[in-house]
Amino acid sequence: MQFDIRYKPAFATIFITLEPGEKITAEAGGMVSMDADLSVKTTFSGGFFSGFLKKFFGGESLFVNTFINTTSFARQLVLSQSTPGDIVAVELHRKQQLCFQPGAYIASTPDVKLGVGWAGFSSWFAGEGLFKLKIKGKGTVFFGGYGGISQQYMTQDLIVDNGHLVAYEDGIKMGIGLAGGLLGSMTSGEGFINKLKGKGVIYLQSRSTSGLVKFLSSKCR
Amino acid sequence: MEIKILQQPDNAIAHIILAAREELIAEAGAMIAMSEFINTSTTLRQGKGGGVFGGLKRMIAGESLFLSVFRSPTANGEVFLAPQFMGDILHYPLRKDGLIVQATSYLASSENIEIDLGFQGFKSFFSGESIFWLDFSGYGDILISAFGGIYEIDVNGEYIVDTGHIVAFEKSLEFEITKPGSSWFGAFFGKEGLVCRFHGRGKLYCQTHNPTNFGQLIGPQLPARKQ
Repeated sequence: MQFDIRYKPAFATIFITLEPGEKITAEAGGMVSMDADLSVKTTFSGGFFSGFLKKFFGGESLFVNTFINTTSFARQLVLSQSTPGDIVAVELHRKQQLCFQPGAYIASTPDVKLGVGWAGFSSWFAGEGLFKLKIKGKGTVFFGGYGGISQQYMTQDLIVDNGHLVAYEDGIKMGIGLAGGLLGSMTSGEGFINKLKGKGVIYLQSRSTSGLVKFLSSKCR
Repeated sequence: MEIKILQQPDNAIAHIILAAREELIAEAGAMIAMSEFINTSTTLRQGKGGGVFGGLKRMIAGESLFLSVFRSPTANGEVFLAPQFMGDILHYPLRKDGLIVQATSYLASSENIEIDLGFQGFKSFFSGESIFWLDFSGYGDILISAFGGIYEIDVNGEYIVDTGHIVAFEKSLEFEITKPGSSWFGAFFGKEGLVCRFHGRGKLYCQTHNPTNFGQLIGPQLPARKQ
Protein backbone atom coordinates (compact mmCIF):
# COMPACT_ATOMS: atom_id res chain seq x y z
CA MET A 1 0.00 0.00 0.00
CA GLN A 2 1.22 3.44 -0.88
CA PHE A 3 -0.32 6.65 0.32
CA ASP A 4 0.12 10.36 -0.09
CA ILE A 5 -1.56 12.97 2.09
CA ARG A 6 -2.18 16.01 -0.10
CA TYR A 7 -3.62 19.49 0.53
CA LYS A 8 -2.04 19.61 3.98
CA PRO A 9 -2.73 21.19 6.40
CA ALA A 10 -6.02 22.98 5.66
CA PHE A 11 -7.76 20.35 3.55
CA ALA A 12 -5.67 17.21 4.05
CA THR A 13 -6.90 14.26 1.98
CA ILE A 14 -5.47 10.73 1.70
CA PHE A 15 -4.72 9.33 -1.76
CA ILE A 16 -4.16 5.58 -1.39
CA THR A 17 -2.93 3.09 -3.97
CA LEU A 18 -3.95 -0.48 -3.15
CA GLU A 19 -1.95 -3.26 -4.82
CA PRO A 20 -3.79 -6.46 -5.83
CA GLY A 21 -5.07 -8.28 -2.74
CA GLU A 22 -4.51 -5.37 -0.37
CA LYS A 23 -7.24 -3.83 1.75
CA ILE A 24 -7.90 -0.91 4.06
CA THR A 25 -10.61 -0.21 6.62
CA ALA A 26 -12.15 3.25 6.79
CA GLU A 27 -14.66 5.13 8.89
CA ALA A 28 -18.19 5.03 7.45
CA GLY A 29 -18.70 7.92 5.04
CA GLY A 30 -14.99 8.61 4.61
CA MET A 31 -14.77 7.66 0.94
CA VAL A 32 -14.47 10.57 -1.49
CA SER A 33 -13.83 8.72 -4.73
CA MET A 34 -12.35 5.44 -5.97
CA ASP A 35 -11.82 3.18 -8.94
CA ALA A 36 -15.14 1.49 -9.64
CA ASP A 37 -13.85 -2.09 -9.42
CA LEU A 38 -12.69 -1.87 -5.78
CA SER A 39 -14.90 -4.05 -3.57
CA VAL A 40 -16.55 -2.48 -0.54
CA LYS A 41 -17.61 -4.50 2.49
CA THR A 42 -19.53 -2.97 5.34
CA THR A 43 -19.02 -4.57 8.74
CA PHE A 44 -19.57 -3.80 12.40
CA SER A 45 -16.62 -1.84 13.66
CA GLY A 46 -14.57 -4.46 15.55
CA GLY A 47 -17.44 -6.91 16.13
CA PHE A 48 -21.04 -6.40 17.16
CA PHE A 49 -20.63 -5.55 20.85
CA SER A 50 -17.60 -3.35 20.55
CA GLY A 51 -19.21 -1.69 17.54
CA PHE A 52 -22.16 -0.68 19.69
CA LEU A 53 -19.92 0.56 22.48
CA LYS A 54 -17.98 2.62 20.00
CA LYS A 55 -21.09 4.16 18.52
CA PHE A 56 -22.84 5.08 21.72
CA PHE A 57 -19.89 5.88 23.93
CA GLY A 58 -16.94 6.48 21.67
CA GLY A 59 -18.71 8.79 19.24
CA GLU A 60 -17.68 6.73 16.22
CA SER A 61 -19.94 5.06 13.67
CA LEU A 62 -21.32 1.61 14.25
CA PHE A 63 -20.07 0.41 10.89
CA VAL A 64 -16.82 0.60 9.01
CA ASN A 65 -16.15 0.03 5.33
CA THR A 66 -13.37 -2.24 4.12
CA PHE A 67 -12.04 -1.54 0.64
CA ILE A 68 -10.48 -4.58 -1.05
CA ASN A 69 -8.60 -4.68 -4.31
CA THR A 70 -9.72 -7.95 -5.92
CA THR A 71 -8.41 -6.98 -9.36
CA SER A 72 -4.93 -7.73 -10.64
CA PHE A 73 -3.91 -4.09 -11.05
CA ALA A 74 -3.14 -1.24 -8.65
CA ARG A 75 -6.27 0.70 -7.73
CA GLN A 76 -6.82 4.16 -6.26
CA LEU A 77 -8.93 5.23 -3.29
CA VAL A 78 -9.39 8.76 -1.90
CA LEU A 79 -10.41 9.27 1.74
CA SER A 80 -11.05 12.42 3.73
CA GLN A 81 -12.89 13.74 6.78
CA SER A 82 -15.88 16.03 7.25
CA THR A 83 -13.97 18.90 8.86
CA PRO A 84 -11.36 20.88 7.00
CA GLY A 85 -8.01 20.23 8.67
CA ASP A 86 -4.90 18.15 8.90
CA ILE A 87 -4.53 14.36 8.69
CA VAL A 88 -1.71 12.37 10.30
CA ALA A 89 -0.53 8.85 9.46
CA VAL A 90 1.10 6.93 12.32
CA GLU A 91 3.09 3.71 11.94
CA LEU A 92 2.16 1.69 14.99
CA HIS A 93 4.59 -0.94 16.24
CA ARG A 94 3.43 -4.07 17.99
CA LYS A 95 3.20 -2.85 21.56
CA GLN A 96 2.08 0.67 20.93
CA GLN A 97 -1.48 1.76 21.68
CA LEU A 98 -3.11 5.03 20.74
CA CYS A 99 -6.30 6.51 22.18
CA PHE A 100 -8.47 8.68 19.95
CA GLN A 101 -10.98 11.34 20.74
CA PRO A 102 -14.43 10.83 19.16
CA GLY A 103 -14.45 11.49 15.44
CA ALA A 104 -10.68 11.50 14.94
CA TYR A 105 -10.34 8.03 13.39
CA ILE A 106 -10.31 7.90 9.58
CA ALA A 107 -8.72 4.65 8.37
CA SER A 108 -6.31 1.82 9.22
CA THR A 109 -4.53 -1.14 7.63
CA PRO A 110 -6.01 -4.64 8.30
CA ASP A 111 -3.79 -5.68 11.24
CA VAL A 112 -4.69 -2.62 13.25
CA LYS A 113 -7.47 -3.38 15.75
CA LEU A 114 -10.06 -0.91 16.90
CA GLY A 115 -11.29 -1.39 20.43
CA VAL A 116 -13.04 0.45 23.20
CA GLY A 117 -11.46 1.15 26.54
CA TRP A 118 -12.84 2.53 29.78
CA ALA A 119 -11.91 6.19 29.92
CA GLY A 120 -13.21 6.85 33.42
CA PHE A 121 -15.54 9.35 35.03
CA SER A 122 -13.03 12.15 34.96
CA SER A 123 -12.96 11.91 31.20
CA TRP A 124 -16.75 12.05 31.18
CA PHE A 125 -16.74 15.18 33.31
CA ALA A 126 -14.28 16.74 30.93
CA GLY A 127 -16.88 16.21 28.23
CA GLU A 128 -14.98 13.41 26.53
CA GLY A 129 -17.22 10.39 27.13
CA LEU A 130 -16.96 7.34 29.40
CA PHE A 131 -15.23 5.20 26.81
CA LYS A 132 -12.39 5.92 24.48
CA LEU A 133 -11.38 4.48 21.17
CA LYS A 134 -8.20 2.39 21.47
CA ILE A 135 -6.07 1.51 18.48
CA LYS A 136 -3.45 -1.21 18.60
CA GLY A 137 -1.59 -3.69 16.40
CA LYS A 138 1.11 -3.37 13.78
CA GLY A 139 0.24 -1.17 10.83
CA THR A 140 -0.70 2.31 9.74
CA VAL A 141 -3.52 4.34 11.19
CA PHE A 142 -4.86 7.64 9.82
CA PHE A 143 -6.59 10.22 11.94
CA GLY A 144 -7.52 13.84 11.51
CA GLY A 145 -8.61 16.99 13.27
CA TYR A 146 -9.96 20.47 12.71
CA GLY A 147 -7.04 22.83 12.02
CA GLY A 148 -3.40 21.80 12.07
CA ILE A 149 -2.20 18.84 14.12
CA SER A 150 0.96 19.16 16.19
CA GLN A 151 2.73 16.21 17.69
CA GLN A 152 4.19 16.78 21.17
CA TYR A 153 6.32 14.50 23.28
CA MET A 154 5.15 14.89 26.86
CA THR A 155 7.89 14.67 29.46
CA GLN A 156 5.98 16.33 32.29
CA ASP A 157 2.34 16.66 33.33
CA LEU A 158 0.41 18.82 30.93
CA ILE A 159 -2.86 20.73 31.01
CA VAL A 160 -4.76 20.51 27.75
CA ASP A 161 -7.94 22.25 26.66
CA ASN A 162 -10.82 19.77 26.16
CA GLY A 163 -11.54 20.32 22.51
CA HIS A 164 -7.94 20.34 21.32
CA LEU A 165 -6.66 16.89 22.25
CA VAL A 166 -6.97 14.56 19.24
CA ALA A 167 -4.97 11.49 20.23
CA TYR A 168 -2.55 10.29 22.89
CA GLU A 169 -0.50 7.22 23.73
CA ASP A 170 -2.13 4.74 26.05
CA GLY A 171 0.33 5.22 28.93
CA ILE A 172 -0.99 8.70 29.53
CA LYS A 173 -3.67 9.11 32.20
CA MET A 174 -6.36 11.71 32.03
CA GLY A 175 -7.51 13.60 35.08
CA ILE A 176 -9.75 16.56 35.61
CA GLY A 177 -9.24 19.88 37.28
CA LEU A 178 -10.21 23.51 37.39
CA ALA A 179 -8.09 26.10 35.67
CA GLY A 180 -6.65 28.07 38.61
CA GLY A 181 -9.40 27.83 41.21
CA LEU A 182 -13.17 27.99 40.90
CA LEU A 183 -13.51 31.73 40.29
CA GLY A 184 -10.59 31.94 37.89
CA SER A 185 -11.90 28.95 36.02
CA MET A 186 -15.32 30.52 35.51
CA THR A 187 -14.06 33.97 34.57
CA SER A 188 -11.24 32.93 32.26
CA GLY A 189 -13.64 30.89 30.15
CA GLU A 190 -11.47 27.82 30.45
CA GLY A 191 -13.98 25.77 32.48
CA PHE A 192 -12.89 22.24 33.29
CA ILE A 193 -9.47 21.26 32.09
CA ASN A 194 -7.77 18.00 31.25
CA LYS A 195 -4.71 17.12 33.25
CA LEU A 196 -2.53 14.62 31.46
CA LYS A 197 -0.09 12.56 33.51
CA GLY A 198 2.70 10.34 32.27
CA LYS A 199 5.16 10.26 29.39
CA GLY A 200 4.38 9.77 25.73
CA VAL A 201 3.24 11.33 22.50
CA ILE A 202 0.14 13.48 22.25
CA TYR A 203 -1.49 15.11 19.21
CA LEU A 204 -3.12 18.51 19.49
CA GLN A 205 -5.37 20.20 16.96
CA SER A 206 -4.86 23.93 16.48
CA ARG A 207 -8.61 24.72 16.35
CA SER A 208 -11.66 23.02 17.82
CA THR A 209 -15.12 22.57 16.33
CA SER A 210 -16.68 23.53 19.66
CA GLY A 211 -14.77 26.80 19.38
CA LEU A 212 -16.23 27.34 15.92
CA VAL A 213 -19.72 26.60 17.22
CA LYS A 214 -19.25 29.13 20.03
CA PHE A 215 -18.02 31.73 17.57
CA LEU A 216 -20.91 31.17 15.16
CA SER A 217 -23.57 30.94 17.89
CA SER A 218 -22.90 34.50 18.97
CA LYS A 219 -23.65 35.62 15.41
CA CYS A 220 -26.88 33.61 15.03
CA ARG A 221 -29.25 36.26 16.23
CA MET B 1 -9.19 37.30 -21.09
CA GLU B 2 -6.31 36.42 -18.80
CA ILE B 3 -7.04 34.38 -15.70
CA LYS B 4 -4.76 33.78 -12.75
CA ILE B 5 -5.76 31.83 -9.67
CA LEU B 6 -3.99 33.04 -6.53
CA GLN B 7 -3.81 31.66 -2.96
CA GLN B 8 -4.43 28.06 -4.01
CA PRO B 9 -5.74 25.80 -2.68
CA ASP B 10 -6.93 26.89 0.77
CA ASN B 11 -8.61 30.20 0.02
CA ALA B 12 -8.29 30.74 -3.70
CA ILE B 13 -9.11 34.00 -5.46
CA ALA B 14 -9.36 34.57 -9.22
CA HIS B 15 -7.66 37.56 -10.86
CA ILE B 16 -9.09 38.27 -14.31
CA ILE B 17 -7.78 40.80 -16.82
CA LEU B 18 -10.33 41.76 -19.48
CA ALA B 19 -9.48 43.01 -22.95
CA ALA B 20 -11.36 45.97 -24.48
CA ARG B 21 -15.13 45.34 -24.77
CA GLU B 22 -14.81 41.90 -23.20
CA GLU B 23 -17.51 40.65 -20.83
CA LEU B 24 -17.34 38.37 -17.82
CA ILE B 25 -20.40 36.71 -16.29
CA ALA B 26 -20.22 35.80 -12.60
CA GLU B 27 -22.35 34.53 -9.77
CA ALA B 28 -23.97 37.49 -7.98
CA GLY B 29 -21.93 38.63 -5.00
CA ALA B 30 -18.64 37.06 -6.09
CA MET B 31 -16.84 40.31 -6.97
CA ILE B 32 -14.41 41.47 -4.31
CA ALA B 33 -12.48 44.14 -6.25
CA MET B 34 -12.34 45.61 -9.75
CA SER B 35 -11.00 48.50 -11.82
CA GLU B 36 -13.03 51.67 -11.32
CA PHE B 37 -13.93 52.00 -15.03
CA ILE B 38 -15.60 48.58 -15.42
CA ASN B 39 -19.33 48.70 -16.22
CA THR B 40 -21.48 46.33 -14.21
CA SER B 41 -25.00 45.16 -14.82
CA THR B 42 -27.14 42.23 -13.82
CA THR B 43 -28.60 39.83 -16.29
CA LEU B 44 -31.04 37.01 -16.56
CA ARG B 45 -28.91 35.99 -19.56
CA GLN B 46 -30.52 36.04 -22.96
CA GLY B 47 -30.61 33.12 -25.35
CA LYS B 48 -30.58 29.46 -24.47
CA GLY B 49 -30.88 29.00 -20.74
CA GLY B 50 -31.45 32.72 -20.38
CA GLY B 51 -34.45 34.93 -19.82
CA VAL B 52 -36.72 34.71 -16.82
CA PHE B 53 -37.26 30.99 -17.24
CA GLY B 54 -33.53 30.32 -17.35
CA GLY B 55 -33.11 32.43 -14.24
CA LEU B 56 -35.80 30.49 -12.43
CA LYS B 57 -34.17 27.25 -13.41
CA ARG B 58 -30.87 28.48 -12.03
CA MET B 59 -32.62 29.46 -8.83
CA ILE B 60 -34.02 25.93 -8.50
CA ALA B 61 -30.48 24.71 -9.01
CA GLY B 62 -29.31 26.67 -5.98
CA GLU B 63 -27.64 29.42 -7.96
CA SER B 64 -28.78 33.02 -7.73
CA LEU B 65 -31.50 34.17 -10.09
CA PHE B 66 -29.38 37.01 -11.37
CA LEU B 67 -25.88 36.90 -12.70
CA SER B 68 -23.46 39.83 -12.64
CA VAL B 69 -21.93 41.07 -15.87
CA PHE B 70 -18.59 42.89 -15.90
CA ARG B 71 -17.76 44.75 -19.10
CA SER B 72 -14.46 46.49 -19.67
CA PRO B 73 -14.63 49.45 -22.10
CA THR B 74 -10.84 49.54 -22.49
CA ALA B 75 -8.01 47.05 -22.24
CA ASN B 76 -6.58 45.92 -18.86
CA GLY B 77 -9.81 45.88 -16.91
CA GLU B 78 -9.17 43.97 -13.69
CA VAL B 79 -11.69 41.92 -11.73
CA PHE B 80 -11.07 39.86 -8.60
CA LEU B 81 -13.60 37.13 -7.86
CA ALA B 82 -13.93 34.77 -4.90
CA PRO B 83 -16.59 32.38 -3.61
CA GLN B 84 -18.02 32.87 -0.11
CA PHE B 85 -16.56 29.77 1.44
CA MET B 86 -12.93 28.66 1.75
CA GLY B 87 -11.57 26.32 -0.88
CA ASP B 88 -9.99 25.99 -4.29
CA ILE B 89 -10.90 27.53 -7.66
CA LEU B 90 -10.53 25.66 -10.95
CA HIS B 91 -10.01 27.37 -14.29
CA TYR B 92 -11.43 25.19 -17.05
CA PRO B 93 -10.91 26.25 -20.66
CA LEU B 94 -14.02 25.03 -22.49
CA ARG B 95 -13.26 24.08 -26.09
CA LYS B 96 -15.54 21.59 -27.84
CA ASP B 97 -17.21 19.06 -25.55
CA GLY B 98 -19.44 20.58 -22.96
CA LEU B 99 -18.85 20.62 -19.20
CA ILE B 100 -21.36 19.69 -16.51
CA VAL B 101 -20.90 21.58 -13.24
CA GLN B 102 -22.50 20.90 -9.89
CA ALA B 103 -24.69 24.02 -9.53
CA THR B 104 -23.33 25.50 -6.30
CA SER B 105 -19.77 25.29 -7.65
CA TYR B 106 -20.33 27.80 -10.45
CA LEU B 107 -18.30 30.99 -10.05
CA ALA B 108 -17.89 32.71 -13.43
CA SER B 109 -17.67 32.24 -17.19
CA SER B 110 -16.78 34.22 -20.29
CA GLU B 111 -19.49 35.88 -22.40
CA ASN B 112 -19.98 33.35 -25.19
CA ILE B 113 -20.60 30.40 -22.92
CA GLU B 114 -24.17 29.15 -22.64
CA ILE B 115 -25.50 28.07 -19.25
CA ASP B 116 -28.40 25.66 -19.04
CA LEU B 117 -29.94 23.32 -16.51
CA GLY B 118 -29.43 20.05 -18.32
CA PHE B 119 -31.64 16.99 -18.36
CA GLN B 120 -29.21 15.35 -15.93
CA GLY B 121 -30.60 17.77 -13.36
CA PHE B 122 -33.93 16.02 -13.48
CA LYS B 123 -32.31 12.59 -13.48
CA SER B 124 -30.60 13.36 -10.17
CA PHE B 125 -33.77 14.89 -8.79
CA PHE B 126 -35.78 11.75 -9.36
CA SER B 127 -33.11 9.53 -7.89
CA GLY B 128 -33.57 11.34 -4.59
CA GLU B 129 -30.31 13.24 -4.46
CA SER B 130 -30.69 17.00 -4.37
CA ILE B 131 -27.87 17.83 -6.72
CA PHE B 132 -28.41 20.03 -9.70
CA TRP B 133 -26.18 20.24 -12.68
CA LEU B 134 -25.49 23.20 -14.89
CA ASP B 135 -24.75 22.43 -18.48
CA PHE B 136 -22.04 24.59 -20.09
CA SER B 137 -21.39 24.77 -23.82
CA GLY B 138 -19.55 27.08 -26.19
CA TYR B 139 -15.96 28.28 -26.44
CA GLY B 140 -14.37 30.19 -23.56
CA ASP B 141 -13.36 29.97 -19.92
CA ILE B 142 -15.19 28.73 -16.85
CA LEU B 143 -14.28 29.28 -13.21
CA ILE B 144 -15.49 26.75 -10.66
CA SER B 145 -15.17 26.88 -6.88
CA ALA B 146 -15.09 24.04 -4.36
CA PHE B 147 -14.88 23.23 -0.65
CA GLY B 148 -11.32 21.98 -0.20
CA GLY B 149 -8.85 21.14 -2.93
CA ILE B 150 -9.92 20.16 -6.44
CA TYR B 151 -8.28 17.12 -8.01
CA GLU B 152 -8.57 15.84 -11.55
CA ILE B 153 -9.30 12.25 -12.48
CA ASP B 154 -8.76 11.15 -16.05
CA VAL B 155 -11.54 8.57 -16.30
CA ASN B 156 -11.01 5.74 -18.73
CA GLY B 157 -13.42 2.99 -17.82
CA GLU B 158 -15.36 3.32 -14.59
CA TYR B 159 -14.93 5.56 -11.56
CA ILE B 160 -16.98 6.16 -8.41
CA VAL B 161 -17.39 9.46 -6.56
CA ASP B 162 -19.43 10.25 -3.47
CA THR B 163 -22.26 12.56 -4.64
CA GLY B 164 -21.21 15.39 -2.33
CA HIS B 165 -17.71 15.52 -3.79
CA ILE B 166 -18.42 16.05 -7.49
CA VAL B 167 -17.47 19.46 -8.82
CA ALA B 168 -17.58 19.06 -12.61
CA PHE B 169 -17.15 16.54 -15.39
CA GLU B 170 -16.79 16.54 -19.16
CA LYS B 171 -19.88 15.75 -21.17
CA SER B 172 -18.20 12.77 -22.80
CA LEU B 173 -18.72 10.94 -19.48
CA GLU B 174 -21.92 9.11 -18.71
CA PHE B 175 -23.06 8.64 -15.14
CA GLU B 176 -25.60 6.85 -13.05
CA ILE B 177 -26.52 7.35 -9.42
CA THR B 178 -26.17 4.07 -7.61
CA LYS B 179 -24.90 2.26 -4.51
CA PRO B 180 -21.14 2.15 -3.86
CA GLY B 181 -20.54 -1.59 -3.49
CA SER B 182 -22.56 -4.61 -4.41
CA SER B 183 -25.06 -4.34 -1.57
CA TRP B 184 -27.65 -1.80 -0.42
CA PHE B 185 -26.72 -2.71 3.17
CA GLY B 186 -23.37 -1.01 2.70
CA ALA B 187 -24.91 2.02 1.02
CA PHE B 188 -27.06 2.80 4.04
CA PHE B 189 -25.09 1.52 7.03
CA GLY B 190 -21.68 2.25 5.57
CA LYS B 191 -22.90 5.86 5.32
CA GLU B 192 -21.64 6.23 1.78
CA GLY B 193 -25.23 6.73 0.69
CA LEU B 194 -25.57 7.12 -3.03
CA VAL B 195 -22.58 7.56 -5.24
CA CYS B 196 -22.08 8.57 -8.85
CA ARG B 197 -20.67 5.87 -11.08
CA PHE B 198 -19.01 7.43 -14.13
CA HIS B 199 -18.18 5.58 -17.29
CA GLY B 200 -16.64 6.48 -20.59
CA ARG B 201 -13.66 8.64 -21.23
CA GLY B 202 -13.10 12.19 -20.01
CA LYS B 203 -11.97 14.40 -17.17
CA LEU B 204 -13.68 14.47 -13.80
CA TYR B 205 -13.08 17.06 -11.06
CA CYS B 206 -13.67 16.24 -7.39
CA GLN B 207 -13.51 18.33 -4.23
CA THR B 208 -11.64 16.88 -1.26
CA HIS B 209 -14.29 17.93 1.29
CA ASN B 210 -18.06 17.75 1.41
CA PRO B 211 -19.77 21.02 2.43
CA THR B 212 -22.98 19.19 3.43
CA ASN B 213 -21.10 16.88 5.80
CA PHE B 214 -19.38 19.80 7.47
CA GLY B 215 -22.70 21.65 7.72
CA GLN B 216 -24.35 18.64 9.32
CA LEU B 217 -21.54 18.45 11.87
CA ILE B 218 -21.71 22.11 12.89
CA GLY B 219 -25.35 23.04 12.11
CA PRO B 220 -27.16 21.02 14.81
CA GLN B 221 -24.92 22.56 17.49
CA LEU B 222 -25.93 26.10 16.60
CA PRO B 223 -28.84 27.80 18.35
CA ALA B 224 -32.12 27.95 16.44
CA ARG B 225 -32.67 31.18 14.53
CA LYS B 226 -35.09 33.45 16.34
CA GLN B 227 -38.15 34.35 14.33
